[in-house]
Amino acid sequence: MAAFRWLIYALGGGMGHLTRASALARAAARQGHSVTLLINSPFAPGVPLEAVLGPGVEVLRLDAALDKRAVREVVECCLQDVRPDVFIVDTFPRGLGGELVSLLPGLRARKVLVHRDLNPAYLERFDVARAVDAFDLLLVPGEDAPLAGHARAVRTSPWLLLEAGELLPRAEARARLGVPAGDARPVVAVMGCGTHSEVEEAGTLAARLHSLLGEAARVRWLVPPGQATALPVAAEPLHVPVWPAVAVLPGVDVLVGAGGYNTVNEARATGTPFVALARPRLYDRQALRLRAEELAGSVEALLEKAVLLARRPPARGPRRYASGTGDAVALIERLRLNA
Amino acid sequence: MSPMFEGPCQQSTGFLFSHDCGRPAAASCMKCGKRVCDMHLTALGAELVCSTCAEDDDEEDGDSDSGDPDSAPDEDDPSYYYKDYGYYGPGSAWGRGKDPNDFTEADGESLRHEEDASFEEDLGGS
Repeated sequence: MAAFRWLIYALGGGMGHLTRASALARAAARQGHSVTLLINSPFAPGVPLEAVLGPGVEVLRLDAALDKRAVREVVECCLQDVRPDVFIVDTFPRGLGGELVSLLPGLRARKVLVHRDLNPAYLERFDVARAVDAFDLLLVPGEDAPLAGHARAVRTSPWLLLEAGELLPRAEARARLGVPAGDARPVVAVMGCGTHSEVEEAGTLAARLHSLLGEAARVRWLVPPGQATALPVAAEPLHVPVWPAVAVLPGVDVLVGAGGYNTVNEARATGTPFVALARPRLYDRQALRLRAEELAGSVEALLEKAVLLARRPPARGPRRYASGTGDAVALIERLRLNA
Repeated sequence: MSPMFEGPCQQSTGFLFSHDCGRPAAASCMKCGKRVCDMHLTALGAELVCSTCAEDDDEEDGDSDSGDPDSAPDEDDPSYYYKDYGYYGPGSAWGRGKDPNDFTEADGESLRHEEDASFEEDLGGS
């Protein structure tokens, strides 16, 4: 297989775009492709992307504070410098600030859109269906999406950053979460990574759960690496910087979080009992992503569900760990060869 | 301006979202006492009243006219079948050339603040 130059555009806040695009970048690099990953998440500076993605992926971290004009300039320069064979755009066919509308027509690369749920108001107001026509392939990884019926759309399994064999075994995962060997109590992990304030809110939830559960469980607050936290390192509940979080889920008995793409799919793939709030988002709808048994309608309901799960931990769900990244890479390679 | 009228106009306005007008009040409605600006002040005979009281008066007049065969509603008029049909039926303020429910700049602003207003503007909002 010939190696191609891939440019993956994954601009957007939080950890979602970054993590999903990293899964594809890693799989592509393992097939020998040269990958450039363009991100601007405010969490990106602290996340050990290079260590996880390996030498085949170059990561370009844009300042999250750049405005639309600056983003357009950087993206244009990046397209000229990288001269990609394939240009993969996560979520936003028009670009995060609409800058791709004028850039795509002059781009000779094959164009691929990663298509997940999108707010219908955004679709209608910005004629997103028309923007999608600029793409040669739409990949729909693991969840329904408004334009999934497009003639050039192909569904895959959800994209997961790690292979099944790369997840930590349960004992190692618990040790990574600071649970001593011999401590059999269930681990409740609380995670929030959409915004810095949601990370802090997860810390508050973890503290409340720690207070409610006492010695009945070990509560852990999972934070993106590099995120400053209000609690001292040694305080209970322990805060654990970790990315990707899926690595430690085999050691988690109850996951408390939100309805973001990666959290939901990682919990389901590992069979981790999961309860979540549907956080408001500008572009996707977390309430639609969450199943009824996963969704908590309020913070109090979330705590109640988490306590019940922790006190009587259910058997882990069936582990159906299958990432769609391999299929996605194959589809993109085929597209390029047919060019 | 008399201290009595100090403060913003209290007339509700808005085509999609009801809100206080907010312009400086020029007078008080002589029927309900509400502070109103020039734009929402209507002469009703010898009285100066707010748009709401003027509308109420129009509706009362409409009811009292029901016995007049010349003013009987037309069966082809949708408002014949549906009470309070639209804003433009007989007796509406629209007939006087001033519609208190009209779309205003304030409504446009409220639309711009809807949740979708920051698409492609809030680059950290995804």
